Amino acid sequence: MSEVISVVARNGAFQKNMITESFESDNSDNSDNEDYNMSGSDDDEEKPATRQIASDSDIMTPGELITDDPVWMRGHGTYFLENKTYSSVAGTVSKVNKLLSVIPLKSRYAPETGDHVVGRIAEVSNKRWKVDIGGKQHAILMLGSVNLPGGILRRKSESDELQMRSFLKEGDLLNAEVQSLFQDGAASLHTRSLKYGKLRNGMFVEVPNSLIVRSKNHTHNLPGNITVVLGVNGYIWLRMTSKMDLARDMPPGGSTQTSGGSMGPTGAVSLNPNSNISITRLEEESSWKIYSDENDPNITNAIKQTISRYANIIKALAFCEIGITQERIVIRYEASMAYNDIGSLIQRDNMENIGQEVLNAEKMRGSAA
Amino acid sequence: MSRLEVYSPEGLRMDGRRWNELRRFETSINTHSHASDGSSYLEQGNNKIITLVKGPTEPTLRSQLDQTKATLQITVNLTKFSKFERSKTTGSTKNERRILEIQTALVRTFEKNLMLNLYPRTIIDIEIHVLQQDGGVLGTLINGITLACIDAGIAMYDYISGVSIGLYDTTPLLDVNSLEEAAMSCVTLGVMGKSEKLSLLQVEDKLPLDRLENVLAIGIAGAHRIRDLMDEALRNHAQKRISNASNK
Repeated sequence: MSEVISVVARNGAFQKNMITESFESDNSDNSDNEDYNMSGSDDDEEKPATRQIASDSDIMTPGELITDDPVWMRGHGTYFLENKTYSSVAGTVSKVNKLLSVIPLKSRYAPETGDHVVGRIAEVSNKRWKVDIGGKQHAILMLGSVNLPGGILRRKSESDELQMRSFLKEGDLLNAEVQSLFQDGAASLHTRSLKYGKLRNGMFVEVPNSLIVRSKNHTHNLPGNITVVLGVNGYIWLRMTSKMDLARDMPPGGSTQTSGGSMGPTGAVSLNPNSNISITRLEEESSWKIYSDENDPNITNAIKQTISRYANIIKALAFCEIGITQERIVIRYEASMAYNDIGSLIQRDNMENIGQEVLNAEKMRGSAA
Repeated sequence: MSRLEVYSPEGLRMDGRRWNELRRFETSINTHSHASDGSSYLEQGNNKIITLVKGPTEPTLRSQLDQTKATLQITVNLTKFSKFERSKTTGSTKNERRILEIQTALVRTFEKNLMLNLYPRTIIDIEIHVLQQDGGVLGTLINGITLACIDAGIAMYDYISGVSIGLYDTTPLLDVNSLEEAAMSCVTLGVMGKSEKLSLLQVEDKLPLDRLENVLAIGIAGAHRIRDLMDEALRNHAQKRISNASNK
């Protein structure tokens, strides 16, 4: 045994003067003085640190005193006892105005209104679907918050309720937006836009939710005719780019220049501007097609390989705990062409290299946040 | 001097420790990031355990659903190869009385410490695999659960650190191993953080009442030391994660 972990009996409130002489004499010949000093200095440190507050970069652990100043409002990750605020999780302190909270190092996804998430149907129940979005509880997708075949203005009928499984069944993947939150933190979703709905023609990847940063746009067209949906909950969908995806990238107003098409990914199917689908024209697209289980028959092996290349790049970034953004995926995709074998991208040393290269490249460009 | 003297006149125990010395304490956190929300691997002397925390998640059974707080479920798997001799029982040991008792003790200990009211309508499932055991297992299980729950980001009031103390004649021996545990009466403590509050006190043997106070005193001091060791390991781990995260 290399190091000796010895302990001395403390003179706590509990013992009063109950420690017998034999205890004391035993202590004296041990080199335990550092233990004494340590516990003593701990108490000393805590006292001056009370009025001012721990700084942002400090790591708090459960039960640690954050402040005894009662002016602070107590947020998540804290608890209040006898006018003192303690941490209840391990993480860093965050201060917003007078709100004090501790952000845990990692935790399950906590939905917020407006989040773009990817989820999987877990249960079909009365007029609603339960969706697994990687949160503490399943999210709820009401029958009334999806687009049903036959147009937006159609009334929901009883027959819709009976054939819910023909729209979405257990195991189906979909992307959706968080519409609202319930009292207990569970989310209610909606798919009332053509960018949301059932997912097809692709592959699912899961990463820790802390790696995805909330931004304006979570759907990106990538080189190689691939589109990625970066769900805020850490669920990612990679699919073959569809006409819809290209239309989304077109400049608004449906301008007829081909520049919109060439702006798209390399090798993308050329787009006939007249067949451009507007996202607002729901009726045209709200056919049974949007709930089809059939993949596009035109997916070639090359596209399947590109999808798995992207999937492995994302796994490598997640392994290195690097935030996942469109720019980084694209940079890595281009660099990954050096590896012919897609499977080798998730070998441990290659993953480490990939992470290091991303960070170095960003340092060189000076764009590292 | 006999090799198997529990406590020699020179003040040394069988494994060369003094009465107030803990065993080697080594831990790693977030060892099974894909299989669980929080995980830890802990070696306390020759005790080796893996702890996995899954949750809070949607309960699989309606009966596990509590409208006001999370349901806590702890499963202990004492593997058959974990002792000196392979246990000869056929079939699963899952429903053995001793294991059910350990599980109940752990649930009672942690349901007061974890802030379960923050996670209504969910279940927190804790799964422990004991790969090797060498005395004072309950204390080790407590330490493992504490670390894994912190890793999972579950809110709790404070650390709980567990340790076993034996009483040899009049001398309390801190952190007993299996040979000592068999030779004398033992007490297992679960101590909350740096306080002297006990969330678990298990005494399975007879013990002179006037000695209990001494035993508790050294036990609490030992548990505080374990808390410090866990805290140190956790801070090292957190530091690494944060320096990684700054690359976002």
